[in-house]
Amino acid sequence: MKIKFNKKLPEKIFEEKDLLWTLIWLTGMSLLWLWDILFLNAPALDRFETAFFNTFISGLLVILFCALLAYSIGFAFEYLRSRESKVYIALSFITDLIRSIPQIIGVLLGYMILTLLINNDVVSGKAFQLIFISFCISLFVFLEVSDLIRERIQYFKKSDFYSAMLCCGIKESRIINREILLKNSLPHILHKLISVFGITIFLLCSVDFIISVGLSTNVSLSNFPPTLGSLLAKLDSKQDILAIGTVLTDLSYFPKLFFEHLQGVSVAFSIVFSLLCVYKISNGFIKRLD
Amino acid sequence: MNLKHSILIRKENNPLVEIEDFSCPKNKITFLFGESGIGKTLITKALYGLIDPLELDVTIDNQSYDEYLKSERVNEIQKNSFFVFQEPSSHLNPLIKLIDQLNEGSLNGELEEEKILESLWNGVDKKIISQIMQVYPKPYRPSGGEKQRVLAAMAFKKIEKYIAEDNQANTLFVFDEPTGNLDNRFRNIFLDMLFSRFQRKQFTAIFITHDYSIISEIYQSHPELVESVEFKELSKNKNGLHLSKFESDKYLHWIDSLKKSTSINSEFDEKIFSVNSGIVVFGRKLSFKKENQTKEELVIGKGDVVYLKAGSGVGKTTIAKIIMGLQNSENFSAEIGGLKFDSNSTRKFWRDEIWGKKITMAFQHADEALNLKSKVRDIFKGLPINSADDDDLLKAKLKELFNFDADKTFLNKSISQLSGGQKQKLNLLRCLVLNTDLLILDEPVSGMDFESIQAVITMIEKKSREGKGILLISHNEEIFDSLIPADRIYTLTSE
Repeated sequence: MKIKFNKKLPEKIFEEKDLLWTLIWLTGMSLLWLWDILFLNAPALDRFETAFFNTFISGLLVILFCALLAYSIGFAFEYLRSRESKVYIALSFITDLIRSIPQIIGVLLGYMILTLLINNDVVSGKAFQLIFISFCISLFVFLEVSDLIRERIQYFKKSDFYSAMLCCGIKESRIINREILLKNSLPHILHKLISVFGITIFLLCSVDFIISVGLSTNVSLSNFPPTLGSLLAKLDSKQDILAIGTVLTDLSYFPKLFFEHLQGVSVAFSIVFSLLCVYKISNGFIKRLD
Repeated sequence: MNLKHSILIRKENNPLVEIEDFSCPKNKITFLFGESGIGKTLITKALYGLIDPLELDVTIDNQSYDEYLKSERVNEIQKNSFFVFQEPSSHLNPLIKLIDQLNEGSLNGELEEEKILESLWNGVDKKIISQIMQVYPKPYRPSGGEKQRVLAAMAFKKIEKYIAEDNQANTLFVFDEPTGNLDNRFRNIFLDMLFSRFQRKQFTAIFITHDYSIISEIYQSHPELVESVEFKELSKNKNGLHLSKFESDKYLHWIDSLKKSTSINSEFDEKIFSVNSGIVVFGRKLSFKKENQTKEELVIGKGDVVYLKAGSGVGKTTIAKIIMGLQNSENFSAEIGGLKFDSNSTRKFWRDEIWGKKITMAFQHADEALNLKSKVRDIFKGLPINSADDDDLLKAKLKELFNFDADKTFLNKSISQLSGGQKQKLNLLRCLVLNTDLLILDEPVSGMDFESIQAVITMIEKKSREGKGILLISHNEEIFDSLIPADRIYTLTSE
């Protein structure tokens, strides 16, 4: 993962596709932001910035929660498995139950619980709501990371180096944590976590768009922290998106997209562009490490 | 004629092999020694024209690999010679029967096939040989030794073909550890077959091996051929790889000195370990026997070095794994320092009482026994000893076995970047640094050069003097038969 300085940096960046796509993403988002500063009205710009920030923070929170949940559950499985404990069976049942629920349904259930909490005045702060939403997403995504962790541990447990280290009196927990997970699996786990970031953006935007119809008479999207999905679900953004369709029949309308329909176009662009870049970064990352 | 080559092999501008003076005398058999992973196979593959130019950048005698491959000499070599790969599975096609592969292309024809097969499967019924030859090679069958015999048979057929032709074309037969899966009896049969053909018509051959006892075998059984063979050793120095003549006397004198030495004779008279005969695993009963004696338990006293030997595949490593609690078995019972354990002992028992405390084991293949993603610096970390994190302890131990002062660059080196011999030394060092009553060393000198073998023997002697029991498992019979008194040598049998 070290950058070798015997090569020129531009050449290095072009060869390492993850670095290249990170640069493309940063450049693209910076250009979009500059354009919005120049041509998007101040309230819409403020909404877009907040929504982008919230979505980005939510993605990072999901990565954090997923990593913690996946590691705890993965390690617990390994610890309990050799001891044939009843807790192992219970844990397997719970994780299988979570696995059986489609992610998007699971996140919708989370929103319903959050709505109940808001209705009962248990929760009001936007920060807590964002953390709660992120945790709900993590709960239905972390198994992908947890499965990977367990798979890696199982794979290396069959290898001679695991047995050889045991025979030398090295503690099993140290072998799993340092030798297997840290030294042999970190790139794979990081690759998965980058994908989780992409999944989060996709789930968050999809669910926010779905619940734009409203969850209760008292609670609507406006009660939740603004995200790119909720911004896209707003009426003016929807009209902006429809305007993209107009270009197909009237090409002369195309330049207007970048001035008159900037809010919706900016949101749609940042979602699609970010998802594409995360996908490319993730692929480039694993290719480099291989 | 002594052909000297300068060879440079690179991957993405990183040199893998760089040697100025690789010589291979014409119409002689060159036995090429050197620690594993140093580049012996790569060099011979490059010379034979087997490297994919798209994978690696090869320059031979300052000409590009494309030009080298087009040369008349290489074409002649490929037409008249054969390359026996170290790992026979990589040569054999799993979708074609062995017998058909033995008759593919230029190998088609009788070419003494039956005689060759009978010699290579000496003592085996013809019907069984023909049944084996009808098998489609899979990873698990036929056995490694049988696959190796098939490749040897192909090479001998090609030699027969060369002998039958009335010309003196360029040849380069390469045998890359062709007897690695065979015991000494079959290795000697292989050598007999090779030398008898060589005497009929000379050819150029490179025989890659780590088995220095081949030298003794040649001097004892084929003294007339001593002038027709060369012993060479590939080593690494600051300027890259270097090929030098290996003085056979150096090895022969050393073996003599081992026979006379009494350094390994234990001064202690206290039993520290015993394990019973008749252990049942995979439906086979494994027993220990001393020379001319019946089955008995294997006993190791304080400071004793005990040698356990057996043919390939009998179960030497399996026994070690059973003792270490890594392999389930029946009718197993053992005792170490008054602590008894058996087939019913739990994993917790081994974890709490045995591993790293009473017994430790160095695994056979360092490549698999070490975490290749670790650094040299990390090799002692986590071990149940004081100063496991101390670089000074590591440097002192490295000096004993590697015979050089390890600097920061070496300590920070990834284990994957080390040669096979260096990895094996680290693998042993991790066990030798522990203070356990018993050390099990599985093939401790495999893949090592002569200097390293001597250093390992010295460390084993030192451990013995410290009063530690050592169980050695090795197919390198000449070295350990010479080193260890006959009353401490056990043969493992299977029934």
